[in-house]
Amino acid sequence: MTEPSRIRNLCIVAHIDHGKSTLADRFLELTHAVSARDMREQYLDRMDLERERGITIKAQAVRLDFGDHVINLIDTPGHVDFTYEVSRSLAACEGAILLVDAAQGIEAQTLANFHLARDAGLTIVPAVNKVDLPAADPEGTMTELAELLGIDPDDVLRISAKTGEGVEDLLRAAIERIPPPRGTPDAPLRALIFDSAHDVYRGVIAYVRVVDGELHARERVRLMANGLETETEEVGVIAPEPRPVPALKAGEVGYLVTGVRDVRQAQVGDTITTIGRASATEPLPGYREPKPMVWSGLFPLEGGDYAALRDALDKLRLSDAALVYEPESSHALGFGFRCGFLGLLHMDIVRERLEREHGLELIATAPNVEYHVRRGDEVLEVHNPSEMPVPGTYDAIEEPYVAATIISPKDYLGAVMDLNQSRRGTMMEMKYLSTERAELHYLLPLGEIIFDFFDQLKSRTRGYASLDYEHWGYEPADLVKVDILLQGEPVDAFSMVVHRDKAYAYGRSMVEKLRELIPRQMFEVAIQAAIGGRIIARESVRAKRKDVLAKCYGGDITRKRKLLEQQKKGKARMRRVGRVDVPQEAFIAALQVETSANPGGGGGGAKK
Amino acid sequence: MNTSAGLYVHVPFCLTRCGYCDFNAYEGLDHLQSPYTTALQKEADLWSEQWRAIRIASIFMGGGTPTTLPVEGLVSLLDHFRGAFHFAGDGEVTVEANPDTVDASYFAALRAGGVNRISMGVQSFDASVLRSLERLHSADSVRSAFASARSAGVDNLNLDLIYGAEGETSSSWVRTLEEAIALGPDHISAYALTVEPNTPLGRQVASGQRPGPDPDVQADRYEAACSLLATAGYEHYEISNWAQAGYRCVHNEGYWEGRPYLGLGAGAHSFRDGRRWWNVRPPQEYLSMVESGRLPVGGEERLTEDERQTEQLLLGLRRTDGVPEAWLDAARATDYVAEGLAERRGDRVALTERGWFVASEAVLDLRR
Repeated sequence: MTEPSRIRNLCIVAHIDHGKSTLADRFLELTHAVSARDMREQYLDRMDLERERGITIKAQAVRLDFGDHVINLIDTPGHVDFTYEVSRSLAACEGAILLVDAAQGIEAQTLANFHLARDAGLTIVPAVNKVDLPAADPEGTMTELAELLGIDPDDVLRISAKTGEGVEDLLRAAIERIPPPRGTPDAPLRALIFDSAHDVYRGVIAYVRVVDGELHARERVRLMANGLETETEEVGVIAPEPRPVPALKAGEVGYLVTGVRDVRQAQVGDTITTIGRASATEPLPGYREPKPMVWSGLFPLEGGDYAALRDALDKLRLSDAALVYEPESSHALGFGFRCGFLGLLHMDIVRERLEREHGLELIATAPNVEYHVRRGDEVLEVHNPSEMPVPGTYDAIEEPYVAATIISPKDYLGAVMDLNQSRRGTMMEMKYLSTERAELHYLLPLGEIIFDFFDQLKSRTRGYASLDYEHWGYEPADLVKVDILLQGEPVDAFSMVVHRDKAYAYGRSMVEKLRELIPRQMFEVAIQAAIGGRIIARESVRAKRKDVLAKCYGGDITRKRKLLEQQKKGKARMRRVGRVDVPQEAFIAALQVETSANPGGGGGGAKK
Repeated sequence: MNTSAGLYVHVPFCLTRCGYCDFNAYEGLDHLQSPYTTALQKEADLWSEQWRAIRIASIFMGGGTPTTLPVEGLVSLLDHFRGAFHFAGDGEVTVEANPDTVDASYFAALRAGGVNRISMGVQSFDASVLRSLERLHSADSVRSAFASARSAGVDNLNLDLIYGAEGETSSSWVRTLEEAIALGPDHISAYALTVEPNTPLGRQVASGQRPGPDPDVQADRYEAACSLLATAGYEHYEISNWAQAGYRCVHNEGYWEGRPYLGLGAGAHSFRDGRRWWNVRPPQEYLSMVESGRLPVGGEERLTEDERQTEQLLLGLRRTDGVPEAWLDAARATDYVAEGLAERRGDRVALTERGWFVASEAVLDLRR
């Protein structure tokens, strides 16, 4: 075992692309954790999906030996969808390296991460990265950081994770400044689960930080939040390959093969204690259930794939504790599932895994947030627009808001403010980070952010603005459900809850889109947008007037029949809504909305 | 067996090949005319035994342009078929004629040889439409050929028209219809121009060099034809066919009613007892097969019950008599009646004129 006084538990926090994964690679080399032969870029970003998307989804903990010290480097997910997971990773640390790109300066996620780390009581070691770049402004960035942290600029380290310059000094500074773990070695066991993974053969693997006591293999433990009891199969450290050890002691970080099959049974944030020896009475603070924030209906393109989709979701949830889903039946899209996600990135990841790992073709409805509908003392949680009650049957609708932080060069402040205003944002605060850049704080409805807000922000600021946000709470809003009707019949997949001021624009754009997408039919097709019973927009697709082969020549009826059979196949790919045949492509195209999963990410695996 | 059959004879020669035409027709093969005529006779002999028992109610000589053959050739063919098959003496005998290939003596010889119906490829009376269709004849040559036919005693005359071609306007189409009606033909066929992919026109449209016909414009033209021809006393008895009382085309009705037919010549189709087959298309290949004493069949299919029903519906719904309502999806049929696309007549349902022009989708929709 390692003396707690020689242990340092730390993480690196940074804005996307500020060089977190590259710095981790340098740490691995410096401590000889990975031989030069085995070294590869972004070593810690394991999963395929992470590499392809360049995003670290799962935190991992790696044990590094440096001189007399043991450093547990805990990786944090770099996306606003996973703020809770970040907070649990931070809770496993005593310190954080706050890394800032010398050419970019402080960005929105720098601030968000800084606040999270400070609130978690972590010692912060600031460093300016990429000092070797021609465009770098190390002095300016150091000043910004010193200002933010309230320290002397000389205490900010200068490094280039790419060349290795200053990296060893940074590691030494981290050991010096970050305190060793506190905790009581002889108290009853309390170990924090800060991440988990699912292994097909071994079940759920929990990444843990032992706070008090000792965690042994082959002993009975209880997960305090959900009350589940299990026998530990194996404990070990990741160095960086897994290595079993007899026990993890107070202050140590490692992995635990839990003996359970479903990640829901060993949730991030839960506390593990022993049953046989003395049990802890108080769990570690900060646990909460994952809460889906964004919802979307997922339907198989081929109706026959429903069972395959269900099986795929069942498999996926074994490794994704935050994914929730329930069967949904749509008149227009058939049988599928209404799924809840932590955010848009989480949604994209799940969809991509379903399509790629399970070979499914899916239609997804436009994402929506969860609405609270108040009826007297009763609060109804609505996460499917088609289930929104009709106006007049409730007292109020509330929608989720986020507290957003935007950092922008001052030249684009007007554009940023215009965007926020058009998205019903309320400015709470604005301050200058430097003479050139400002920090804006807004309250914004989450429902406004999930539709191309980030892309708009980027395009209006030539890519210079950055965004981060956290969930804030529910507020009443003047929301209405807009239904889209074909021949008077509502098409559930197109229903949308929007602010009353935007209802007309949504209805208009949808009926116009559908007019282009729905082919002419035997009868005129009325396409309407309605709020309750009131029609707010209308278009029509004129009846088809010609669909015939005029000549039936010389007895060649075979050809005519074959052409008709082809036409029939085309028709079979359509879905019938009332009397109207709607092509699959029309659903897909009409439901295609610009969403942007950013901000966030981290680790630019594709960059050279 | 007391059903009757039709005999189709394909003559693949043309003066020029028109850009829109995807029929099995060729220009510049005139040197094959004589061996081809002989081969048709020989093919008839090859089939004679199998088909002799069934009464031939109609003969239709189409193409191509049958009248590119010397009239003696056509007449000798008819004589030969009378010997090879059981042909009813009062049966309909149609020859398709191009106005530029015929004169009074040609018609007189056809009459004498037993031809009692002439179908003339007019297409249009408008010079710019004729040009865009690459037709060589003029409106004047049509009028003069028509007069020659009448004076030769042809008392059953059809004019073929095409609408929706480039260069046509709504008023030029009305003028064409009026000119046609003024001649007083017994039958008029008016076809919407179809752009076939494997034609010069098809390639020009696909590459964007020429516009394709606008379906709404074609629907307007169709409606104009329906109204003018009805006023002139023609019965609209199939999507593209109008006739004075007693002058429906017996031969075509045979196709539509599912009666058997034998096709002679390159690429000709035949149908009997649920089996459909077709001859090889290239005239040279046809010739060599027949000359070596083999049936020139290039392919065949046996209709499944499902295909047979599809065809019956497809053909029945194109006609004024319609189909038994029992064949149809009742709810859809009711929708169609309500929308004015179909009519109920006793226990049958027929498409209206508007319904006919969307008959393809109607067949798919209405099928039980």
